[in-house]
Amino acid sequence: MASVTTEGLWDELTLSEAEYRRAGARYRQRRSFRAYLFVLPYFLPFLVFLVIPAFWSVWLSFNQGGILDSAKYVGLDNWRAISSDTELTGAIKNTAVYVIEAILLVFTLALVLALLLNRYRTGSNFFKLALYVPLLAPAVLVGLIWQFMTNFDFGFINLALDGVGLKRLNILGNGTYALLTIVLAEVWRGLGFWTLYFLASLQNIPEELLDAARVDGARGLQRFRRITVPLLRPMLLFAVVIAIIANFQVFDTVYVLTQGGPHESTSTLVWFIWQRMFQFQETGQAYAAAVLLLVIILVLTAISFWLLGARRRREA
Amino acid sequence: MADQGLTVEEASAARSAAEFSRAARRDQLVRFGKGLAAYLVLAVFAVIAVGPFVYLLSPSFRKSFELFSYPPEWIPHSFYTGNFGTILNETSYLRWGLNTLIFATSVTVITLAIDTLAGYAFARLRFPGRTLLFALVLSTLMIPTAVLIAPLYIMISHLPDWTHSGVNTYPGMIVPMVCSPLGVFMMRQFISTLPEALVEAARLDGASEWQVFRKIVLPLMKPAIVVLGIFTFMFQWVNFLWPLVITTTDDMKTLTVGIASLQGQFVTDWGVISAAAVMTMVPVVIIFLIFQRWFVQASMAGALKQ
Repeated sequence: MASVTTEGLWDELTLSEAEYRRAGARYRQRRSFRAYLFVLPYFLPFLVFLVIPAFWSVWLSFNQGGILDSAKYVGLDNWRAISSDTELTGAIKNTAVYVIEAILLVFTLALVLALLLNRYRTGSNFFKLALYVPLLAPAVLVGLIWQFMTNFDFGFINLALDGVGLKRLNILGNGTYALLTIVLAEVWRGLGFWTLYFLASLQNIPEELLDAARVDGARGLQRFRRITVPLLRPMLLFAVVIAIIANFQVFDTVYVLTQGGPHESTSTLVWFIWQRMFQFQETGQAYAAAVLLLVIILVLTAISFWLLGARRRREA
Repeated sequence: MADQGLTVEEASAARSAAEFSRAARRDQLVRFGKGLAAYLVLAVFAVIAVGPFVYLLSPSFRKSFELFSYPPEWIPHSFYTGNFGTILNETSYLRWGLNTLIFATSVTVITLAIDTLAGYAFARLRFPGRTLLFALVLSTLMIPTAVLIAPLYIMISHLPDWTHSGVNTYPGMIVPMVCSPLGVFMMRQFISTLPEALVEAARLDGASEWQVFRKIVLPLMKPAIVVLGIFTFMFQWVNFLWPLVITTTDDMKTLTVGIASLQGQFVTDWGVISAAAVMTMVPVVIIFLIFQRWFVQASMAGALKQ
């Protein structure tokens, strides 16, 4: 008796293949629809304020006109204008020098400090906090602080030079020193971040690996080269990419410290863009330079992935 | 190595007690010296990091012309507070501070809300185009702000008046800054580390997607939310380029834009400028010391989420 009822119920519950497929499709549709509701609040501003402006910039690099008046299509005129612009080549050169110096310096110092903090844990919290403090200051303020530090009459650096019997320097009046000041200001501000970043990466390395190497007789430097560095590689890749993207956009300190001077010797790419856009009203050229900046960043990111990611792929 | 041919007894006999203790002492000395050098290096960099801020305290309590005195006076002999008075009375400093607070807080709150939702969808929900959309988000990480500011400025300045969100308005400043790709990435990475079984169990119990998110996932995300919150807030607190472009009136400036404008207004008045710097840094350092653990975690988040 009981078995008969069950069979009947089973028949009622079983779906034909078509019905089954339709129900499945309906379920998936509802599921996707709900998922889209979750991403919509992000993607609406994302499209409007990020994707569209990016493409718009590319389009406007082929146009001419002020920021507020309507744009006029001029073909490749802007691109031709900036390609023979020595101010732009100068700005690219300055930016490249700045980026290379700043990244090499900050990564070396940060890695050394991270290794020390990783090895000597007593009191490391104090040092971590101290190194973090410059990060709390906006770059604008950092610029002002460094302007104060490099002041000819009462800046710390000149007082120190004076103290040891050397001649005072007009630091921001000299192109080479001025660019170096911007490098040092940004390194000073970023050092805490990268130290903590590398420290976190180092602490991710399993202790057993290093212990095993020690037992096998690997010396300190060997352990660093053969174990720490290869394991840090993915972290380093991320760090290099982030640092390139961030440093190529250096602007705030330039704005406060030098305004691109003296004689454009500290003019960087974003400074050039800003000047053309809002001071000279050469918006088309500014857009072209901005798109160029985007391309440079894309290419350098790709190269970093290729250089630092290649080994990883081969190992895996 | 040299001892290899000898038995244990012979070896220990060969190495006299004096020799042994000398070696041990030398070893100890080397280790002590290394430690000392390490802490010396750390101390030097700690001083370099904090020193300039301490250095600024002195001129902020002095009249500007006293800076030129020679030999330099490091400690002010009179305690002059006029610089702070100048900042408060002759500039809109407090208003700038308030603007910064409104700007950074609003961007942070909106970012947290939309990034957690999107991060959850990317980590745990299935929908067509998921991989593609996420790749799109990640690829925009590389777009420099300089590419975006002018189109954003054009957009904002063409908004009709009735929206009350044009140039020199809070919405006009805030809304274009809310779509950081990094936030979605961080949230997705974090949610991926949460046990999937938890979500499955809730679903089997008949919870809707929203309930799963609200009741199960969100409470577990507190650490990630704090970290992204600090990250976003700090990013906007130092933001300069966008507020510089989108604010033209003095009473809508943020602190960064305001501080930069002091330079023009008080050209050589370093007493006033350092007073502004001190007023800016003191509250931030206090907040930092209270929430230090989270700040440090925020900057490590990138490294830990690989």
